[in-house]
Parts: sequence; C-alpha cells; structure tokens
Amino acid sequence: MADFIAAVLMSAGLFFLLVGAIGLVRLPDFYTRLHAASLGDTLGLTLFLVGLMVHEGVTLTSFKMLIIELFMLLASPTATHVLIRAAYQVGLKPWTREEG
Amino acid sequence: MGKSETKETKKSINSGFTSSLFLTLALYIFWIVLSGKMEAKYLIIGFLSAVIITLLTRPLLLVSIGSSKGILRSVYDLPWLRLMAYFPWLMWQIVLANLQVAAVIINPKMPIQPQLITFRKKLPGPVAYLTLANSITLTPGTITVDLEGDKYLVHALIGDAAAQSLAPEVGEGEMPYRVSWVFSGWEKEH
Repeated sequence: MADFIAAVLMSAGLFFLLVGAIGLVRLPDFYTRLHAASLGDTLGLTLFLVGLMVHEGVTLTSFKMLIIELFMLLASPTATHVLIRAAYQVGLKPWTREEG
Repeated sequence: MGKSETKETKKSINSGFTSSLFLTLALYIFWIVLSGKMEAKYLIIGFLSAVIITLLTRPLLLVSIGSSKGILRSVYDLPWLRLMAYFPWLMWQIVLANLQVAAVIINPKMPIQPQLITFRKKLPGPVAYLTLANSITLTPGTITVDLEGDKYLVHALIGDAAAQSLAPEVGEGEMPYRVSWVFSGWEKEH
C-alpha cells in the first residue's frame, strides 16, 4: 500500500517536472521560462521527495530528504530572483502579447 | 532616555543568547541526522563543532531592525509560531498556482499575459520583506524582480490573476496581508 501511494506521488511529481520542461521549450522569452522552471522546483520536487519519504518510512533517510526539501524551498526562489534581477538590470525587455 | 536604551540593549543581548542556543541545538540535530552514528565519540565531536560554529558565526548573524536603527538582533529571532501557521497556507497556494501554470503551459493556445506589477507594502524589518519576496517567487507564475524600500516589482506569467491576488485595485492582496500578520507585533515585543 505504501509503495502504491509512493508511486502515485512520484508520478505526480514527474508530471510537474515534465510540464516544467515542456514550458521551458514552449514559452517565448527568458522571464516566462523562469516561471516554467519554478514548476519543477516547487511541486515537482516536493511531490517526488514526499513519495520517496513514504516509500522509505520513518527513518533517518527520510528525515534527510525533509532537510533537502526545506533547503530547496529556501534556495530556489533566491536563485530565481538573482537571475531575473540580473536580466532586468541589464535591460532585457520582457515579452508581452501584442494588443489587437 | 538613557535608561530605556540600556534596557533595550540588555534585551537584544538576551534574545541573542536564546537564538545562539537555538542555533547550537539546530546544528547539533543536523549533525546527528547526517552522521547517523550514536557513539559517544561522534556525539562529542558534533557538539563541540556546533558550539564553535555558533561562536564563530555570531557576529555575522546579527542584523539591525528596520525602524529602530542601531539595535542588533539575531536573524533567528523570528516569530516562529506564526511562520508555522503561515507555511501550510503558502504550500496550498503553491499547489493551486502550480496547477494554474501547468494548465496554461499545456493549453495549445498558451493563454499567457506576461506583465510587470508594482505594489507597495510596508513591513517591519528586512526579514519580513525577504519573507514576502521569497513567498512571491516560490509561488509559480510570479517572480519578484526587484525590491526598493517598500516597493515590489513582480513579473507575472498570468498578469490579471496575479494582479488580483497581489495588488487588487481595492484593499490589499492576500499574501502581503498574511505576511504582515506574521510579523505584526514582532517588533514591539522586543
């Protein structure tokens, strides 16, 4: 049963990682692509790690995975912010949909 | 005036000690989890490392708080209980935003309206500003581009929806409101 739940969670995580990768290709410019990358960073990785933790049970290893998850939640937005701020200050124009 | 100042300094030193204790404990638990060994030798080495790291990094982890300049406070001195109450709400918002952005990306027409949104939000202290900025970036579909004073510049993938939730025309957005709730009263207590 635990393995089944773990498989479902990991598949859901993989789905978001896949959609993030598709978005990385489909979206028009740098700024919008960063949005797609954050899909995999947040829910994709979280679901995958929770799936692994369910598979592992209450052990030291799953506690380590929890720590990885917390570090990701702190580090990923900071890195994304640094990238987008650098792009903005260099003067890269954000893509916008033409009116009409 | 002088009297209240000495009181303030005493208090900030006091809270500094509590947070040093907290940091030592956190580092020690981190050591135990990573090493996984319960022999006395490793436990003692870990404890000494935790204490030494705490002492070495103490001056680095003190920040001056926003409105009352000059008073130093440890960065670990946070409203932890309220942050823990805020966290589940944030996770739920992340799930909702993930589904929204995933739907937009998969949609063959790709109905995106990238847009830059600016809004102002006064918060107590740099850690509060950081919390709001990182919460915005962590939620897919919105990224904090810049923060000057209390002015946020946010890039949004689905412009209208993000503007509605962050800076609606009437009132204020839910996320800024909740972050200001987390840090409200935090400055006065010390």
